[in-house]
Amino acid sequence: MSGKGFYQEFEVFSKRTDTSPMQYQFSLLAPNHELALVMAQENFMRREPVADIWVVKRDDVRKMTMEERQTLQRLDNKDYRNTKGYGYLKKKWRHYEQEMLDEKEILSWGGKQEK
Amino acid sequence: MENTLSFDQLTEEQKYEHFMKRIEAGEKIEADDWMPDDYRMTLIKLISMHGISEIMGALPEKEWVPKAPSLKRKLGIMAKVQDEMGHGQLLLRVAEDLMKPLGKSRENIIQDLLSGDLKFHNVFHMEAKTWGDAGLIGWLVDGAAIITQTNMLDASYGPYARALKRICAEEVFHAQHGEAIIMALAEGTDEQKAMIQDSIDRWWEALLMFFGPGDASTTGTSKQDTTIKYGIRTKTNEELRQDFFTKYIPRVLSLGLKLPDETMHFDQESGMWVYQQPDWSKFKQIIKNNGPKSKDRLRLREISYSNNKWVIDALSAKA
Amino acid sequence: MRYALEDALKNGAYRDAATELLFQLADDDFILAYRGSEWLGLAPHIEEDVAFSSISQDTMGHAAMFYQLLHGLGAGDPDHLAHARPAAERKNAVLLELVNGPGTYLTEPHYDWAFAVVRNYFYAQAKKVRIEALKNSSYQPLAEAAVKVNMELYYHLLHWKTWFTQLLSAGGEAKTRMAAAMEKVFEELDGLFSYGAQGEEFTKHKLIDSEDALKARWLQLMSPVFESLDLKMPEKFAMKSGNGRNGEHTEDLQTALDTLGEVYLFDPAASW
Repeated sequence: MSGKGFYQEFEVFSKRTDTSPMQYQFSLLAPNHELALVMAQENFMRREPVADIWVVKRDDVRKMTMEERQTLQRLDNKDYRNTKGYGYLKKKWRHYEQEMLDEKEILSWGGKQEK
Repeated sequence: MENTLSFDQLTEEQKYEHFMKRIEAGEKIEADDWMPDDYRMTLIKLISMHGISEIMGALPEKEWVPKAPSLKRKLGIMAKVQDEMGHGQLLLRVAEDLMKPLGKSRENIIQDLLSGDLKFHNVFHMEAKTWGDAGLIGWLVDGAAIITQTNMLDASYGPYARALKRICAEEVFHAQHGEAIIMALAEGTDEQKAMIQDSIDRWWEALLMFFGPGDASTTGTSKQDTTIKYGIRTKTNEELRQDFFTKYIPRVLSLGLKLPDETMHFDQESGMWVYQQPDWSKFKQIIKNNGPKSKDRLRLREISYSNNKWVIDALSAKA
Repeated sequence: MRYALEDALKNGAYRDAATELLFQLADDDFILAYRGSEWLGLAPHIEEDVAFSSISQDTMGHAAMFYQLLHGLGAGDPDHLAHARPAAERKNAVLLELVNGPGTYLTEPHYDWAFAVVRNYFYAQAKKVRIEALKNSSYQPLAEAAVKVNMELYYHLLHWKTWFTQLLSAGGEAKTRMAAAMEKVFEELDGLFSYGAQGEEFTKHKLIDSEDALKARWLQLMSPVFESLDLKMPEKFAMKSGNGRNGEHTEDLQTALDTLGEVYLFDPAASW
């Protein structure tokens, strides 16, 4: 606990289910992490399921400035990073009488083991 | 922005120009972004008043929380008033972040409220005499609040827009909670029916005032032009009031209730509701904390603050 | 044996015992949730106000479940049971009916947060112990309700324990106030563990473990917390203002009933 009085800023994150990612909710004031944690769910997630909560002291968050946010822009010319840039393979594989191993197919491989 | 100059090196005028371009482009302004003082001060005033009105607005309905007439109603109104406190929390957080560079915090907001520097909404200075009033607040006061709040859902200030999004989602529950109480009364005994009519009669003027004066000529000041310029809201006070009439008057009448204003009608030609103006000098008095319950409700906040101060002190010292 | 609703209805003595126990459970939760609702808008901190209200709502929700079970056993309409029974018929522990502090929620509410924290923490722990025991109740519908209620008690307990330990660790005025609040709670705490005059029927019908077993369990769970805070657990608790399980109550309950029933009693036959 770091001391600057009762009204310290905490950022609240939560996840809806075990498999969902942490999501930012809102900020609250509390004197320390423990109290921030016991108030978080009821302040921001009264009407939704919650599987986990993080509270982070705002001071510990390095936010971007308005100018820095400009570093986030990029050109839309990076097809080579995505399957979009390799779509022609489908036709190629058809020539060899094979199915394309696309995202849907590949992500289905890890499915539950049959018992 | 040009790369040759960093933002800090721009003149104030250039910064302002850049800021207005962002507003016009529909960009969201964030808490730590550069903003003109005028924008910051307008937001602080608007959002701290909005936030503290939620907190003060919890009090009239709260009077009926322990008295609600069934287990279901007790739970519903508890959840509703809890939401009001929750909305106050969201909005005060937004206001507090805007005030931070001025060295102000939540404690200042409470102090300003108690000293009378920070005003709260006119409706929450009124008496909530009956269970009918608890229903009417949920139905029509929240209805009016939904009209003004949805008007700002796309506000240029990102944190406010995000808080409003959360708030408006809950307002839908509030409106239905209010409707449920009113519906039960409207379909109930003669005494129950009389209860709502009495509530409407007493609250009518406050509801008209809810949206603020039509223009500055009525009360001397109006912030509406500034808020529209900065893309915080889109509609004027009068447009919002008219929207409220259009949405709610037919519903009020459908339940067999009478409007306390016999002259009120919809003018086909102008497409506007014609109604008798409330006494705006009374409005000015009310928001100066001279309303029927202003002092009592401020006293409740003051007691809560002074009585619990030891808790705040105890956990501040801990560190 | 396990009793379903139909079995209970066929056995008069069993039904009476189950009814009596359910009244204690329902009335405890109902009156404490009511006291919690009076705090709404007045808690020390806005964020806490919101959190506290959820606990009050949960607690009133539990009361509603118990009143519903009573309705099943033929005790009457749940809203009537909650709003219209006179003080002498109420079975809640006196500890839970006591006012939050001087004043009323409408005028000059000089409420005592230390008392709120201690009362709610001690109750949350006692309720947890009780609900754990009820999971094995011979009355099947009650055992099922206990499983549900139990889910929400983890949070109640964590919440109040956090406040309890933090305020006591703070020392100074906070510690003095907490000590005074504990003294006040200990004076009535035995009433919470009591089953009243018909308590033997509860154990005979295997509705719940004995008073002594539950109290021992409570002490066992509280001891480490007390030790870590350097607090002394009193040798004995008291029941200074009477046994609520036998319908003995304070004036505080009467004024609460007048308030909470005001609108309902205006026309009990009406639909609200």
